[in-house]
Amino acid sequence: MTTEQYAIEGLKNILYIDLTNQSYYVEERRDLYEKYLGGVGVAINLMLEEYKEGTGPFDPEMPVILSTGPLSGVYPTCTKAVALFRSPHNGELGESYAGGHLAMSMRYSGYETVVIKGVSQYPVYVAIHDDKVTFRDASSIWHLSSAIDVGKILREIEPGAGRRSIIRIGPAGEKGITYADVNVDTYRHFGRLGLGAVFGAKKLKAVLISGNRELKSPEHNAYRKTVSMLYDTIVKTGLTEKYHNLGTSENILVLNELKGLPTRNLQAAYFEGAETISGELFAEKYLLRRVSCAGCPIGCIHVAMLKRAFSKAHEYEALNISYDFELIYALGSNLGVADPEAVLELIDACEKAGVDIISMGVVLAWATEMQQRGKISTNETMGLELSWGNKAAYLRAIDLVVKAPNEFYSALGKGVEYASQKYGGEDFAIRLGGLEIPGYHTGLGNVLGLSVGARHSHLDSAGYSADQKAFNQPISDEQIVDYIIDEEERRNILNCMVSCLFARNVYTYENVILALKAIGIDRTEEELKELGKDIFRKKYELKRKFGFKFEDLKIPKRFFETPSTTGKIDEERVERAIELYRKKRGV
Amino acid sequence: MARRLKVANPARCIGCYSCMMACARTWYDTISLKNSRIDIQTRGGIETPYTQIVCHACIDPPCMRACPLGALTKRKGGGVNLNKEICDGCGNCIEACLMGAIHLDAEKKAVICKHCGVCPKFCPHDVLEMIEVEDSGEVKITDTGPAPETSPVSSTASHKDLYGGKELGEEK
Ligand code: SF4
Ligand code: SF4
Ligand code: SF4
Ligand code: SF4
Repeated sequence: MTTEQYAIEGLKNILYIDLTNQSYYVEERRDLYEKYLGGVGVAINLMLEEYKEGTGPFDPEMPVILSTGPLSGVYPTCTKAVALFRSPHNGELGESYAGGHLAMSMRYSGYETVVIKGVSQYPVYVAIHDDKVTFRDASSIWHLSSAIDVGKILREIEPGAGRRSIIRIGPAGEKGITYADVNVDTYRHFGRLGLGAVFGAKKLKAVLISGNRELKSPEHNAYRKTVSMLYDTIVKTGLTEKYHNLGTSENILVLNELKGLPTRNLQAAYFEGAETISGELFAEKYLLRRVSCAGCPIGCIHVAMLKRAFSKAHEYEALNISYDFELIYALGSNLGVADPEAVLELIDACEKAGVDIISMGVVLAWATEMQQRGKISTNETMGLELSWGNKAAYLRAIDLVVKAPNEFYSALGKGVEYASQKYGGEDFAIRLGGLEIPGYHTGLGNVLGLSVGARHSHLDSAGYSADQKAFNQPISDEQIVDYIIDEEERRNILNCMVSCLFARNVYTYENVILALKAIGIDRTEEELKELGKDIFRKKYELKRKFGFKFEDLKIPKRFFETPSTTGKIDEERVERAIELYRKKRGV
Repeated sequence: MARRLKVANPARCIGCYSCMMACARTWYDTISLKNSRIDIQTRGGIETPYTQIVCHACIDPPCMRACPLGALTKRKGGGVNLNKEICDGCGNCIEACLMGAIHLDAEKKAVICKHCGVCPKFCPHDVLEMIEVEDSGEVKITDTGPAPETSPVSSTASHKDLYGGKELGEEK
């Protein structure tokens, strides 16, 4: 691929930021963008370049890499930025995606990729305005009790309204909770695997990036046509209707009916209270408005309004809280909470603290079961009695996990793998690869996808969809393995672009090729697929360097005890499927 | 028959920027938010409702009066036509427009909505509409029946109901 073929502007710069001496420089890396397009493709290569054997997640040399791709800010619903880091939660590959205004701001700033290294001596925030990078003392906003407020304050101080993105951490990130998240523009997050704790260790409170540059396509008319076609496909067909309408929370009733909704720490996969925490109910009773990531006509961000009385004299406060399927599972069904307002309050508490809600939900569910089984007592919990559906206890527990006043809560802040190694109950610590599970108990595809996935996330391969297929008509285990392999590769490619995965059925190979072509980038389906494989291999190379071994993979017994959508899952069958995957993949 | 752009349902905006991208791409051959004649603004991040800043087609345009060079003339249907050749970027029109609907581009030429009708075709949430007006710009009174329900049967309720309904055409 020659530079001439790379006709779209931008896609050349990497901005390196060093927090230790508050300096920065820009490097041109056309080679990387040309070969790997952008997003995870560019980021994974940079990580391999940067990683020095033996560097821990919190070490200064360990970089955080943010990257966007060729379609970011260019086509509808290409709204994501990827973050790569070494996860402080499981020590493995940290990979996370967030939307909001981040991708558009990065793309229009001219820095499609940002690498952040070093550790500041005192809290700072970094502001990137087009080509100016400034470091400001953030000590006065360190210790704020809410990640939401950080955005409110920086919005007043910094310019660029409407063309900027503010990503920031809350108290959990400052305190090093290993599943702390990074809040992106209030309603989106780098949620999983603890990027927030890495920010905290770097004393990096926030990054603000604004950009207002122009891009030009070499073939503007082709570009316009392609935008119209993609826009129509997104808005006028049913392909994204689910996200537009009820949103992902539509899945609560669907999965519940399929007996695949983890309930009370996955002691069951059916929640009798699902009706009252369903997407339908939230939409009817609490949905206030929907908003979008910049550049996306779907508008999947569902914001609920919770009106809460705070005195007997009819005094109310109104909270705006965004909700999603995973959050309702984690703080609803999996904690036995059937009261929708309780779910919203719990979400709100986690948002302010700045933690990954899936991990927090699973940690609390495990702790509840531990206490009920008498494996821990009120000695550990400092008097708190955890019980299913007990909102007040859970609100307090979230607060205590973040504040870590004793050894027990501090263990909870390191995740369920760490806590269960210390206190027991590993068989019902529902995690895979050290990461707390998302809201699916659908069968082999799900367990396999989470086990082998590069980041042990449902977003690696959506193994639950394979189970859904298997549920509708029997397919062989090998077909499930193949499905996961295909899906991993397809997602690797989309994650170079970087499109939102909610539009994955819009950005088919055919449409990705067309979209690239209209901005002067030629790729064939074979080349794209090769890219997907290449990224897979590099991810596993990194995982190996970070110490991942299939041999260490523990699958808690709970998965095999509780019947799933596709029936009881057999342990040996999972092992055979993992073997098959490894053989096919050569890992 | 004259037509003009109207921000019909501001509260339905989801902040997708599709309108801005479409305007900039159509009139400035660019992929950006720059020089879009409509501006979507956030006043308190995306936690608070969006505002849509765009020319609202004055019948007696103050921006035109403020222009010392006569670069702005009355447009049929309200608002103004800009003669780019004449505009020297003095910015008087910007001052005159209380809507804040005018800015200057990199060549120091005024950027003002042409009421061309492209952006409504890219608004997924029925915020923007083209309405029929008198040549003078006066709003035509056509509907005299009861106001339509904003229920799922309303044509402006959600794009779900637009499937197979009114066609969103190719941009011109
Ligand atoms: S630009 Fe402003 S002053 Fe001029 S016609 Fe439009 S709204 Fe009126
Ligand atoms: S900027 Fe141009 S259009 Fe506006 S008042 Fe000055 S000359 Fe007239
Ligand atoms: S009507 Fe035309 S000129 Fe006016 S904002 Fe919309 S696209 Fe731009
Ligand atoms: S296209 Fe419509 S919904 Fe999207 S930002 Fe513009 S006015 Fe708002």
